[in-house]
Amino acid sequence: MRDTLRWAYALNQWNIRMDVFVRHEDQRRALKTLSALGFGHIELAAGTGRWDNLGRPEVIEINHGSPEGFLAFLRSCSVNGVSSMFWDPGQPVEEEGWAFRSTRNRDDHAAIVESAKPFVDFLAAIGAEQLVARPVGSAWMQPPLGRDDIAAIGEVWNSVGKVAAAAGVGLALHYDCLSAVHTADELRRLLDATDPELVGLALDTAELTIGGIDPVAFYEERHERVTHVHLKDTRYADTGEEYRMPGAETTMLRGGAGRRIERWFFELGTEGGLVDVKAFVAALRRHGYPGWVVVESDHGGNPAELAMLNSWYLQQELSVART
Amino acid sequence: MAWTKWSYMDHWVTETPQGPQPPSFNRAYMDRYIKQLSALGFKGFDTFFFYLPMIEGMYGSVKAFEHFLQDNGFEKITGIFSAYPYATKYTAPHVPETHDRIVADCMATVRAVEGLSVENFIVMPSTTYFQVEPVTDEKIKIMADLWNRVGQMTLEHGMRTTCHFEFWGAIRTREQLDLFFRYTDPRYVYFFCDTAQHTIAGVDPLQMFRDYRDRCTGFHFKDTHTVDEHEAYRTPPDPELMAPNVTRWFYEMGTEGGLVDFPALMREIVTSGYDGWLTVEHDKAELGGGSYAEATCVAKWYIDNVLAEAQAEAEAQLEAGR
Repeated sequence: MRDTLRWAYALNQWNIRMDVFVRHEDQRRALKTLSALGFGHIELAAGTGRWDNLGRPEVIEINHGSPEGFLAFLRSCSVNGVSSMFWDPGQPVEEEGWAFRSTRNRDDHAAIVESAKPFVDFLAAIGAEQLVARPVGSAWMQPPLGRDDIAAIGEVWNSVGKVAAAAGVGLALHYDCLSAVHTADELRRLLDATDPELVGLALDTAELTIGGIDPVAFYEERHERVTHVHLKDTRYADTGEEYRMPGAETTMLRGGAGRRIERWFFELGTEGGLVDVKAFVAALRRHGYPGWVVVESDHGGNPAELAMLNSWYLQQELSVART
Repeated sequence: MAWTKWSYMDHWVTETPQGPQPPSFNRAYMDRYIKQLSALGFKGFDTFFFYLPMIEGMYGSVKAFEHFLQDNGFEKITGIFSAYPYATKYTAPHVPETHDRIVADCMATVRAVEGLSVENFIVMPSTTYFQVEPVTDEKIKIMADLWNRVGQMTLEHGMRTTCHFEFWGAIRTREQLDLFFRYTDPRYVYFFCDTAQHTIAGVDPLQMFRDYRDRCTGFHFKDTHTVDEHEAYRTPPDPELMAPNVTRWFYEMGTEGGLVDFPALMREIVTSGYDGWLTVEHDKAELGGGSYAEATCVAKWYIDNVLAEAQAEAEAQLEAGR
C-alpha cells in the first residue's frame, strides 16, 4: 500500500486450526494473496508445537534455517517483512511445559519476562517493530481486578518492555473484549501503571467496540500511548456482559450461549459495522500516527475473500493506493 | 508500463448460508465479488450468457451492472461466453438443422448487451467430442458455416465472434483447428486462445497464437498439470469432471507442475504488438479444497511479479531493436 500510514495484514486469519496452514506452499499462497492485494508486511501470532510453524522463533528457524532464511521465504512471495507479532503469555504452550501463568501473579513475573525473550530476539533479528501482547487473561477465569492487581500487571509489562527496548523492539499491550481489563477506566489504569517509554497500547477497533469503548474517542484521549493498531469491524457490542460467561472464548465468541452470536469480527465496510473506520483512520492521520496499522479479519470466513474486501475498502473508501 | 487490460472470467464459487454458490446467489454477494476483483486491479469483466438475466434481475439492467463495475474501477464488460457443450436435438453446431435456433439464441444474447461496448462474443464452436465423432472434414465445415453466420451477425452489433476450443470438443487437434480456420471467414470468425485447453489437447498455445495472431482477440490465462494422453477427451458424458484418471484439469497460473509457459507467451504477445484484453480464468478452482478467491489472488501475484517482468524484457528487446 502506498500511503502515509503503514499498512500490514495479520496472518492469524489463515491459521484457524492446529492442523491447517502448515505446509509452506499454503503459507506461500497466503503471502502472495496479501502481496497481490497491496500488503507488503505481515503480523505473526505466537503459537505452539510442530504444526504452528510460524508461531515460535525456534520452529520458524527449524523451517527456514535462520531469521534471514525466514525473511527470504517472505520475500520470495514479494512480502517485505514482519510488522509485529502477537503473544499471550497466559496461553499455556508445550515449549513452556504447559505452564499456566498470570501477569497478576508476581510469582510468575520472572518466567513471563524470560519467556518473552525469544520473541523479542526474533523480532529484532527480522527487523519487526512491535511485540503485541495480551496484558491479562480472560475475566471469567479470575476474580475482579483490585488496585494492586493492576499495579502488578504494570510491573511485569514494564519489565518486558525494558527487555524489548534494549533489543530495539516496542511492546504494545492489546486490549481484547474478554480481558479482565475490561472497562475504559481499567484500561486507563493499566496504561497509567506502565511506563510510557517502555509500554504502548495496541488499539484494536473491534475489540474495544465490543467491550463498550469507543475506539475513536479513546484514541483521541490517549493517542500518545497508541503504538500499534489492529483495524477490523464488528456488528455487535457485548451489551449483556457475555464476556463474564464461563468459557467465554466459546460461549461468547463462538455463540455457544448467550445471544448465540457465532461471528463477532468482520471485514472493513461490513453492513451494520459499528466501528467508524473512516473517523478512526482520519484521527490516526491527524495525529501523525507513526506505527503499523494491521488489518485483521480474525477467523471471520474465507481468508482470501476477506483480505480482498479489506483491500477494496482501503483503496476505495480510504483512498489508499494498492501499488 | 504494466499491462492494464486484464479482465476476469466469471467462474467464482463462494461460501453462502446455503453452501458454496456462485456470487449471483444474491445482490450482496455479487457486490462483494466485484469489490474483491476490483481490489486486485482487474479492469475488464467477462461472464456467461446465462448470467445476464440474473444480472438484470439484481441490478435492474446489464447497463446498470456495468455502471457498478465502473464505480469500482472496472472499465467495462469485455466478453460474453456462449456455449452448447452438450448436443441435443435442438442445438448441435455440427447439425445444420439446429443452426437457425443457435443463431436466434446468439441474437438474443447480443440484444441483452446492446448499447454496451462488449468486444468479444466467445463461443465453443462444438459440443463434446463423443457426440460428434467421427469428426470429419464435412462436420468441421458445417460448424464453420454456423459460426460464419453468427460472426457476421455479431459484428453488425459491434462484437467479434471468437472461438474458444475445449480439449474435449470436436475441434481439438492442430489439424482440426487449422481446417476449421480455413473454413471460417477471417472477417467474421476469430481465435480465442485458452492456454490450458490447448495444452491438454497436445496443442502448443504459443504456436497457435503465433500462427493465428491476426485473428486472435483474447486469451484465457489458465494452467494445467496434465496432457491428455489416454483419450480422456472421449469420455462420455463429460471428460471435464468424469475423466477416469484426472480429477482436476485446470489450475491458476503459478502452481508447481504447471505446463504452460506463460512468460514466453507474454513475451510473444508484447513482441507481436497485440494490445487487446488478457483474461484470467479459473475453472473448478474449488476441486481439492481450493478457493476461487485465493486462486485469483495467486494468479494476480503471478501477473504482477512474473508476467510483468516478462513484459518488461520483451519491451526492452523491442526498444533495443528500434
